[in-house]
Amino acid sequence: MSEADERALRGAVGPTSRRIMFNHLAILMSLLTAWEVGVRTGTLDALFFPLPTDILAGFWRLYVVQGNVWSHLGLTMMEVSIGFLAGSALGIGLAVVVGLVEPLRRYMKPYVIITEATPRIAIGPVIIAAFGFGWTSKVAIVMLVCFFAPFVNTLNGMVNVDDDELDMMRSMRASKLQIFRKLMIPDAMPEIMGGLRLAMASALGGALVAEFIAANAGMGVLINQYTGVLNMASAFVCVLTLTAIGFFILRFMEAVDRWLVFWGDRARTEAVSRRRASAWARREEGRT
Amino acid sequence: MTGPVSILRHLAVFVGVITTWEVLALLGWIDTILLPRPVEIGEGIVKLYFEDRTIYRHFAITFYEAFAGFLIGGGLGLALAVGSALNDSFRRYVSPYAIVLNVTPGLALTPIVIAWFGFGYSSKIALGAIVCFFPVFVNTLIALTRTDSDTLEMFRSLGASRWQTFVKLQVPDSLPMVFAGFKISITTALVGAVVAEFSQGTAGIGVLMQRLSFALDMGSAIAALLSMSLLGLLLYYLIEILDDRIVFWRRGPRMEAVGRRRQAAWTAAPRTKKLTTSTLKPKGGG
Repeated sequence: MSEADERALRGAVGPTSRRIMFNHLAILMSLLTAWEVGVRTGTLDALFFPLPTDILAGFWRLYVVQGNVWSHLGLTMMEVSIGFLAGSALGIGLAVVVGLVEPLRRYMKPYVIITEATPRIAIGPVIIAAFGFGWTSKVAIVMLVCFFAPFVNTLNGMVNVDDDELDMMRSMRASKLQIFRKLMIPDAMPEIMGGLRLAMASALGGALVAEFIAANAGMGVLINQYTGVLNMASAFVCVLTLTAIGFFILRFMEAVDRWLVFWGDRARTEAVSRRRASAWARREEGRT
Repeated sequence: MTGPVSILRHLAVFVGVITTWEVLALLGWIDTILLPRPVEIGEGIVKLYFEDRTIYRHFAITFYEAFAGFLIGGGLGLALAVGSALNDSFRRYVSPYAIVLNVTPGLALTPIVIAWFGFGYSSKIALGAIVCFFPVFVNTLIALTRTDSDTLEMFRSLGASRWQTFVKLQVPDSLPMVFAGFKISITTALVGAVVAEFSQGTAGIGVLMQRLSFALDMGSAIAALLSMSLLGLLLYYLIEILDDRIVFWRRGPRMEAVGRRRQAAWTAAPRTKKLTTSTLKPKGGG
């Protein structure tokens, strides 16, 4: 989700004022109260809607009293981060190779379309059969899930370089490396970042699904165990934890995006160019 | 571009890749559990489609689950997005929940959804609906709110009502992006259905594939996986065809065909109209 998306979601209302925040809170509190009352009076099924107070108590129990979430959470996050780093690095690297070699690119296209249409997580059982029930098979699945979006986007970005700009670089006798470094990479950067964001968003889901299929530890296993004994409040605690992590990941990727693709945002562009100009001036001063 | 020569070349590359793969696997350089030999996959396809013939039922079930999930999730996304686009405060108070739903990995809800809806079809449809809600919602909302301001100005200066602006400007303007959202969503709905089948299920391609791969019949498992790609392509092209029909103005030939048809209808219609109005209801002024 980009900033524009977020603006569309929030509406053209400008920054949220204190009154609106209060309304938000009031709506949320009344929803939760209605929920709590509904379950306690028996109108709502406690199996579908565990009591909000139970969920709150569940946070305390799972994180502090039992403290059993931490190891599962750590394992899942390890699977996600290793899989994401390896998978996206592989995807971008391979795309750069393919993008630079013209015949390879031509013959790759049908295969890319087919793999695009396959639900990637669907390969899960095959990979688990091949790599076993431990964490390596989960890393492999996350890698696979994280491979395609960066691969396709990088390839797209590199192929769709502006012809006029390419001509100009050539007419100024830029070397192949220079064209690659100064034209293709910056040009493809927004798209690569888009691919990385997609990959990151699906990485967590990939790891969880892999754990659902077959595993002995991890957040997916924990959720499965709790729902298996119909302890829905604890299952909700786990899901809400994942929501928080998902939110954190989204924000993190946005920050990286803004930092790397600084020319996408006007204010950032100006700030960076001012900094570069002053560094340049300082260097000139030092030279004279 | 796609002349017979180029197709032949593609075919040659394909055959070459398959042959080297087969040879490497026979030599033992490729782990056949991870990547079964192409011949094994071929045998798997023959077995699933012609000998056992069980796959058709699984195929139909997963198709139904994914499509129903898409209809529910996409419909909900569309409705909430239209509501949010028309009313600022509705959007303000609905969108936080949509965002929360978006950052939650929807697939994490699999066990919970199964506990809620049971082991049958409904849990697969529900998971499909949950994971495919957001792309439709966000695409529709953005498309509806990002109307060209010049055109909007023109509509206003012509005294178009709010309803007219919505139906004649915002909706047609947003359709391409809405369909882009549908395309993302329908493949996501398939993922949701398949994952729910992996987790708990009695029928469907996901169940079939899991059974085959846990029996280490990898050739057939890959064959089932390829059927899943086919299913994904099928669902995708279903939306693509609808896109082509409804958003006809994006592609030249379709645009011309529709334009010609409408023109023909137009030239046929006013004449009959004129006849009836002049013969039946002569106006006092004329």
